[in-house]
Amino acid sequence: MSPVINALSYQHFPIYAIMVLFLGAFLIAVFGRNRTARNVLALLSITASLAFILALIRPVMLGGEIIAYWLGGRVPAGGYAIGIALEVDALSLFFALIVAVAVFVSGVYSIQYMRHDDNEREYYTLFLMLAGGVMGLVLSGDLFNMFIMVEVLTFAAVALTAFRNTATGALEAAFKYLVVGCIGSTCILVGTAMLYAQAHTLNLAQLAQLLPGNLNTATKVAFALLFVGFGTKAFIVPFHPLAADAHGAAPASISVMISGVLTKSGIYGIIRLTYFLFQTMNLGTMQFLLVFVGSLSMFICVTMALAQHDFKRLLAFHSISQIGYVLTAVGLCTALGVSAGLYHAMNHTLFKGLLFLAAGAVLHETGTTDLGKLGGLSKKMPHTTVLFLIGAFSISGIPPFNGFASKWMVYQATYQKAVESGNIGFLLVTIIALVTSVLTLASFVKVSQSVFFGQLPKELEHVKEVSFGMRLAMGIFALLCILTGLFPGLVTSYITEPAARAVFSVAQYISAMGFDASGVAAESVVSFAHVGVWEPISWLLILCIALLAITIVAVASKYDNVSQRSGEAVDTKYELFYGGEAQEFSQVGGGDLFWGFKHNWRGYFDFMYRLHSGVVNDYALWAVVDLALVMLFSLIVL
Amino acid sequence: MILLNYIASFFLIALGLYTIVTKHNLVKTVIGLSIADYGANLLLISIGFNPGGTAPIYTWTELNPSSFFVDPIPQALTLTSIVIGACVTAMSLALVIKLEEQYGTTDTREIRRLRG
Repeated sequence: MSPVINALSYQHFPIYAIMVLFLGAFLIAVFGRNRTARNVLALLSITASLAFILALIRPVMLGGEIIAYWLGGRVPAGGYAIGIALEVDALSLFFALIVAVAVFVSGVYSIQYMRHDDNEREYYTLFLMLAGGVMGLVLSGDLFNMFIMVEVLTFAAVALTAFRNTATGALEAAFKYLVVGCIGSTCILVGTAMLYAQAHTLNLAQLAQLLPGNLNTATKVAFALLFVGFGTKAFIVPFHPLAADAHGAAPASISVMISGVLTKSGIYGIIRLTYFLFQTMNLGTMQFLLVFVGSLSMFICVTMALAQHDFKRLLAFHSISQIGYVLTAVGLCTALGVSAGLYHAMNHTLFKGLLFLAAGAVLHETGTTDLGKLGGLSKKMPHTTVLFLIGAFSISGIPPFNGFASKWMVYQATYQKAVESGNIGFLLVTIIALVTSVLTLASFVKVSQSVFFGQLPKELEHVKEVSFGMRLAMGIFALLCILTGLFPGLVTSYITEPAARAVFSVAQYISAMGFDASGVAAESVVSFAHVGVWEPISWLLILCIALLAITIVAVASKYDNVSQRSGEAVDTKYELFYGGEAQEFSQVGGGDLFWGFKHNWRGYFDFMYRLHSGVVNDYALWAVVDLALVMLFSLIVL
Repeated sequence: MILLNYIASFFLIALGLYTIVTKHNLVKTVIGLSIADYGANLLLISIGFNPGGTAPIYTWTELNPSSFFVDPIPQALTLTSIVIGACVTAMSLALVIKLEEQYGTTDTREIRRLRG
């Protein structure tokens, strides 16, 4: 590496992209008393960060270069990394891109959305700290640096969850998140310490060089600790209740950050851990771990979402359900699987961000997110409704929106895996993914019905459309949802495929930092042919989904009729929807459209309800049990 | 007796987790978090220890291949980790105060408006 690098060379862009965010946080804390100064500073730093990341697309994504950057120019001495490094390969850049876009849109939205809150200065400071933390995490090439960034982002996220501390449950959610988040962080720290004790380095590339093939009990335990630690950041099962609590209480712009950015940092950590540090993904059992946890997250969270009465809490459960797709697809360890997972991760940020912003717009205008109190907003907020529907179609996987393209790839990948490995279990995963998609669609039928259509309650007569700034932010997400859905070929070949290739190029990742990669198999031979989405058979699949969704609605209504005929649990508020009579402003309760479905499954829902007890000790116990199980698993398997 | 350090650190981590899982008082939960954190710090500092090593403070001219000192990196990590631990405690205690004001209790079993 040349000792003198021009300060404007793109080699420096990763550190700039991180620094502008932290610098912005600092400057706002100092000079942010004035609203204009604050907004300008915040917009400047998020725009600059986005620009630096976009400028890296050309060399890293298209050129296939890996940027190795030693802070302070402290290059390795005597074969050991002594300085802190940033290492940006296509995978890092892919996640950085997601982060930068989500941060940008969320920041634009915040300017109007947070206008009526106190302490805006603190809000922007924490917001930029959170953004900088995630950006630093995904671009870092150093394990301890990753731990620091995890702590920074956890802290900022906890503080922002409790930001509206008079809102119901905000403090409670923040405390639970802090406790379980800190258990996760401690896990990462202990795991890092144990790896350092074995390998005497913290550099990711060097760890990837030294660890595989030299595993002992300590490193196996470290794997479990790191896996669980990053799992808490991704909110995968069993950490999903925290996400639901945090999303429900946090401002909508922060929900975008938590769901679109924070969960991605956890997924990124898991990919780095399994594919790079330990290179264990070729083990069938390790694939099983990821696919199992992913499928579990997918299914549990979508059923939990069906039972929710709060708009944002419902979206939160869906968010984790979609993260389940990502983890499942990534866990397949095939070219198609990883591409599908990364594609879905990107789409998840876009459509989930859009949905949370729409929920925020509803909250901003009506003052509530209780599905039972909302209704008929399509007449008052037509633009928000259209934008929300785009998001809802995307997440439900309806063509031509982006959710369809990536979900289709997930189905295809799991099916292909089942055919290739001859393992019937992966076919089951395909079915779970399909059923989850159907339930997602069903759930969004419910949300649209109870928020945007149906009768407008009298209290909401005065509601107006939200301001232009907020619609602009939602519009950016909606446009991206449509674009990434319409041109899946371009997205896969220019964005997700380079990233997916990077996942399989561990040797390049190691040698780019100047370490000897001869012990690692050169680029795994992975075929990227057939990584496409538009196939005629897909329409058949859509038909199946539609039929299943109709069946569920029909079954639900049938059970309602039966229960009403038999005189059991008759409630007049259901009569209008199914009977077409009665008082002017009565409507189906928001959480009650699938009343019959829930009734049918009441054993399951009762069980789930008891599990999600809301007591922080229980959630901590889940974390400990999860840790114990993963530890046992990795001791046996690795 | 470096082995004792390792045993003690994992004992502290386990004790901290035990406290978090079993105690229903918010303040005790915070104490549990701190104990687990101390365990992690003890582990870190023990990892860098070399029996008989000196403090890792040298200038370039003093440093030669026969220098024998404890590993400075875990010490730097421990310092960072201690700072973070202090922040965790401060922030969680602030939340506990606010929670007590809002809910009128510090019992975790009663602070469960968000559930299901």
